[in-house]
Amino acid sequence: MRRGSLVQLILLGVVATAITGAVAVLVPWLPESAGKEADRIEFVYWFTTVIAVAVFAVVAAVLTYSVWKFRVRPDDDSDGPPVHGHTNLEIVWTAIPAILVTAISVVSAIVLAQNGRAGDHPLRIKVVAQQFAWQFTYPDGKTYGHLTLEKDRPTQLDITAKDVLHSFWVPQLSQKQDAVVGQHNKLVVTPTKTGTFPVVCTELCGLGHSIMRSRVEVLTKAGYEAWAKGGGVTGGRRPPGLTAFNQFGCNSCHTFTAASATGTIGPSLDKLKEAAAKAGKPLDAFIRESIIDPNAYIAPGFSPGVMPATFKSQIPAKDLDALVKFLATNTK
Amino acid sequence: MSAAAEAHEHGAHPPPIHYSSRVAPAILGMFLFIASEIMLFGSFFTVYFFDRVVAQPSEWPPPPFERPWFIALVNTCILVTSSFTMHWATTAIKRGNRAGLQAGMVLTFLMGLTFLLTQVIEYHRIGFNTADGAFAATFFGLTGLHGGHVFVGLTILLVVTIRAFRGHFSAEAHHGVEIAGIYWHFVDVMWIVVYFTVYVL
Amino acid sequence: MSATTHDIHSTPPSHGGSQPRARSAWTAAGWLRVLWTIPLFGGLGLGLVCLIRWLAGWDPVWDGPPLVTVELVTIPLGFLVGLGGFDYWAYYASGKPTRPEDHSGHGAYSWRDYFRINTDHKVIGIQYVVTTIFFFCCGGVLAMLFRAELAKPGDQYFNPQTFNVLVADHAALMIFLFIIPAFAGLGNYVIPLMLGAPDMAFPRLNALSFWLLPIAGVMLLAGMVTPGGGPSTGWTCYAPLCTHQPLGQVFFNMAVQWAGASSIMTALNFLVTIITMRAPGMTFWRMPLLVWANFTTSLLVVIATPFIAGSQFFVMFDRVMHTHFFEVDGGGYVLGYQHIFWFYSHPAVYIMMLPGFGIVSEVIAVMARKPVFGYRLMALSLMAILVLGFSVWAHHMFVAGMAPWLRVPMMVTSMVIAVPTGIKIFSWLATMWEGRIHLTTPMLFVLGFLSMFVIGGLSGIYLASVPIDIHASDTYFIVAHIHYVLFGGSVFTIFAGIYYWFPKMTGRMYDERLGKLHFWLTFIGFNLTFFPMHYIGLQGMPRRVADYADRFADFNLFISIASFGLGASTIVFLYNMVKSWRWGPLAVGNPWRALTLEWQVSSPPPIFNFDEPPTVVGSPYEYGVPGARHAIFGPAVREPVPAD
Ligand code: HEA
Ligand code: HEA
Ligand code: CUA
Ligand SMILES: [Cu+2]
Repeated sequence: MRRGSLVQLILLGVVATAITGAVAVLVPWLPESAGKEADRIEFVYWFTTVIAVAVFAVVAAVLTYSVWKFRVRPDDDSDGPPVHGHTNLEIVWTAIPAILVTAISVVSAIVLAQNGRAGDHPLRIKVVAQQFAWQFTYPDGKTYGHLTLEKDRPTQLDITAKDVLHSFWVPQLSQKQDAVVGQHNKLVVTPTKTGTFPVVCTELCGLGHSIMRSRVEVLTKAGYEAWAKGGGVTGGRRPPGLTAFNQFGCNSCHTFTAASATGTIGPSLDKLKEAAAKAGKPLDAFIRESIIDPNAYIAPGFSPGVMPATFKSQIPAKDLDALVKFLATNTK
Repeated sequence: MSAAAEAHEHGAHPPPIHYSSRVAPAILGMFLFIASEIMLFGSFFTVYFFDRVVAQPSEWPPPPFERPWFIALVNTCILVTSSFTMHWATTAIKRGNRAGLQAGMVLTFLMGLTFLLTQVIEYHRIGFNTADGAFAATFFGLTGLHGGHVFVGLTILLVVTIRAFRGHFSAEAHHGVEIAGIYWHFVDVMWIVVYFTVYVL
Repeated sequence: MSATTHDIHSTPPSHGGSQPRARSAWTAAGWLRVLWTIPLFGGLGLGLVCLIRWLAGWDPVWDGPPLVTVELVTIPLGFLVGLGGFDYWAYYASGKPTRPEDHSGHGAYSWRDYFRINTDHKVIGIQYVVTTIFFFCCGGVLAMLFRAELAKPGDQYFNPQTFNVLVADHAALMIFLFIIPAFAGLGNYVIPLMLGAPDMAFPRLNALSFWLLPIAGVMLLAGMVTPGGGPSTGWTCYAPLCTHQPLGQVFFNMAVQWAGASSIMTALNFLVTIITMRAPGMTFWRMPLLVWANFTTSLLVVIATPFIAGSQFFVMFDRVMHTHFFEVDGGGYVLGYQHIFWFYSHPAVYIMMLPGFGIVSEVIAVMARKPVFGYRLMALSLMAILVLGFSVWAHHMFVAGMAPWLRVPMMVTSMVIAVPTGIKIFSWLATMWEGRIHLTTPMLFVLGFLSMFVIGGLSGIYLASVPIDIHASDTYFIVAHIHYVLFGGSVFTIFAGIYYWFPKMTGRMYDERLGKLHFWLTFIGFNLTFFPMHYIGLQGMPRRVADYADRFADFNLFISIASFGLGASTIVFLYNMVKSWRWGPLAVGNPWRALTLEWQVSSPPPIFNFDEPPTVVGSPYEYGVPGARHAIFGPAVREPVPAD
């Protein structure tokens, strides 16, 4: 091909690279990283992006150039040069992509290995997912509806599910792992920034999937230890109803002052009296019914089918009694 | 445009088909169909091994269940024999021996039928049903899938038998028999694999 | 729609309808007979279930789910019997002497002939394309509905249940009733012509496999409105969620079975046709790349599709017969479902792309007036994708908690697929290079495909990299990937194919200006709709949610509006098709000056395609080669057929 056209082609390539590169760089594609693993993943992401931009620029440049230069008017019925192939060229565009994807694979494999390491003394937390709530149990046996982590401390989550598949994801920490019934999957996160981030369920798990959210709070070392002492829901001297309340995950969907629960997925249980009145039922009966048959009465502003109907079978009779008593006595 | 021009003169009569392969289309089709059948069984074997190996059950079969391997063995022999009679039928008609074809088909059909009925009775007496865990699920899955294939096979055999008695097929034209035979042999071989996996392994 | 195939033939044969011809209209194959065969078979199914349950001593003798399952088999059978799908075989089975095929089921002389069992591959091709476009519109309308829901956070029009149903059926319709069968339809029409064959190898099977489609489609749509609600588990319907679903789930499972059966039958037909019915001289290395593409695709279908059949059986048994294939507390293995499902559904994504590659090769060579660059490597890369396609399924399970050692190998194989795909992309670019490019509508869609599919493919590379996938999995980034490869890839090629062969199929020319308008509206609307999804996905918006965090509100509003524009663009297409088919200017036999065989006959082609098989003497893409011929017609000078 002539020199001039080569220049034009290269210019086109530069323009294409510039535009694609701009889109890649100027848009903050990834959420601001708040964890070691996220940083590594971000590295792989950029490594891949460089290659992707290059590849797309080449394709775009050649495409636009051809359309621009080789396009003819409809009435032109001449044919192009009968070129059937060019072995060296074909070898080149087989080899280069092969090399590039190998590079991506290697980088990814290394990062994957690093992101799996939890160090010697990780903080170990048991994560139990159920429709549609998260439970986080700490080494000292305390259970919470939301996750609290210590800055710069490697944490190993041991993730499982009670009913169907769920998936634990914190966008800022980048790590994700499905929760599978009867399986304990490990996930390592090492937060590097303090603050509050969302916990999202990313595996379709039923009607409440879209609202199965919780939060993770990352505290400084001091802050974390202070928090670890107080709060929480220890075993031992507590009304059994409270234990049940947390054990079956009520705390993650409902607000209930007496249990220092702040969930907003379901209606606030501090207002049980009014609700019972609306439903025209005695308080105890109403609470019991709402647990074992959630759809019997739907609080205004909430959609039916969100609260799982499985508690009927999940909660043993005596726990249920305790729970009802606890709620009835402590509601405002 | 040339072809189109001529096309107008001709009425609705197809041109001679040019065959670019030595295999008859119907037979090739049957083999490809069997390939995908094998994959269907493959998926059932996959789930079987997931439930038996990967899910790591403590015991297989879980007590108190046990597998009636002896009846099944007898059944296996019946089915294998039927494969030979099928082969006999095919070779017979290839030599133009109609009586042989008819006898072979009838025998094959009856043995296949015996196999199927035995399996039904076995299901009835086996002492567990589909709801009894992964073992039962895979057991009924594999044997049931195969049972279904025996049923289809029998239908095909029945058709061939009828035609055999209606005086069709000859030393020259016997694809019908041949294809039915291929399918029946497949059902047979598949059973041997199923038997070893489900009853013996 | 009368101006269609074969009305160039002055007089239709005296007899219509398919054999054996019966006396009364009620017993003759046709819609009247359907009216009573459906209730008949419905009744038989009911009787069967009750009888078995009674014999086995189960009660209640009358039980919902199993009954529904059986009915979903028997009623469609009744429909097919009524329509005459099995007449010939019933006739054969009853032992009557086989009559020589009298081709009464062949060809279309009025629009009615499109609504009966028709054994002409050209008619079937058109039946396929029209039906699939209808389901495309249905699937698209569902998308419009849930986009409306997603325009604002919170629940507006649909509760989560309905929303999930919409999403599931949107995907199922698009995949099982649009893309896969649409390619089957185009292939059906073109392949025998390209091979120089009078028809497919098994015309009756061909007719049957078409009529399974409406069954599957109606079943899916019916599943949405079953009492208790439809399948709300996405198109992947993972266990164990979908084993605890309302009855609609069973409809979904069975619909997939019918669609799967249909595509297996078609694939068998393609394979046998391609292997046994090539014209003299048409060696494998002289076949057009579209034929190569459908050859590889059919292999994929035959080998992989039984696995989705299996997976749907298992979840259905878990649902209906209370088995425990995937139920942990029964000793089942939960992830088993995903392995089996994806062992089909990854190859499926290539089933949904390879025929498109074929179409692109055809169009580019013709519109750039140059031979396809590196023909052999093009064919071989198809084969490479076919093989690799079976070794990557677990890249959909990187975060599923499967055996960790599977991750890296699956990542590598997934990446490697970029190489053969790249070969194709670059070869197409090289084909255009220094060509004489005619920017007709099909070419525009092909160019759109080239650019959009590369984006989709590259996002696929991001996903293939395990660490990135761990972040991006099950977010809108996936949704973006899906649509860049499926819409920007498959759908664009389908449009290209429809425009390219429109003159051949209908004998009329489409409206070029409307075609270009359709392209630009689609192209722009498509990017406005799906490009932002990359961003909100990576930022943290999960997929399959009816309600989402408020910070995504603006983006989703924008996407929804854009998607309505995209939907509207389809109306231009539909208008163009209907108008041109009815009133468009008559098309000549070979408007594109193409070399492949289908263009060497009249538009639409004569009822049996060729008077006698043409003799193929060269490559199908010898553009610019002086005096090159692909095939010789008429009294052929038989040149020795090279064996391959
Ligand atoms: C037409 C359909 C189609 C096609 C062709 C592809 C092609 C590819 N897909 Fe995609 N995919 C889907 C349809 C498709 N996909 C669907 C529907 C889903 C979602 C399913 C669901 O969960 O609902 C999915 C999901 C999906 C996942 C799972 C994500 C997740 O759920 O977590 C992954 C992960 O690896 C993946 C990867 C790939 C790769 C590597 C390719 C490759 O084949 C792409 C190869 C092409 C290119 C790379 C571009 C051209 C090449 C060049 C220009 C050469 C140079 C390139 C380089 C050097 C990189 N896809
Ligand atoms: C080929 C496949 C294909 C195609 C073409 C499309 C087309 C579209 N898809 Fe779809 N989509 C999928 C395959 C496809 N999709 C898959 C596999 C999934 C995953 C599902 C899952 O998670 O399980 C998905 C999921 C999916 C989602 C994510 C849902 C979720 O996760 O919550 C979204 C969200 O915006 C979406 C949007 C759209 C839109 C706006 C279109 C538009 O392009 C549609 C445009 C509209 C039309 C083309 C028709 C309009 C026609 C008219 C309005 C008039 C004519 C009407 C008649 C004559 C009846 N799709
Ligand atoms: Cu839990 Cu989605
Ligand atoms: Cu895939």
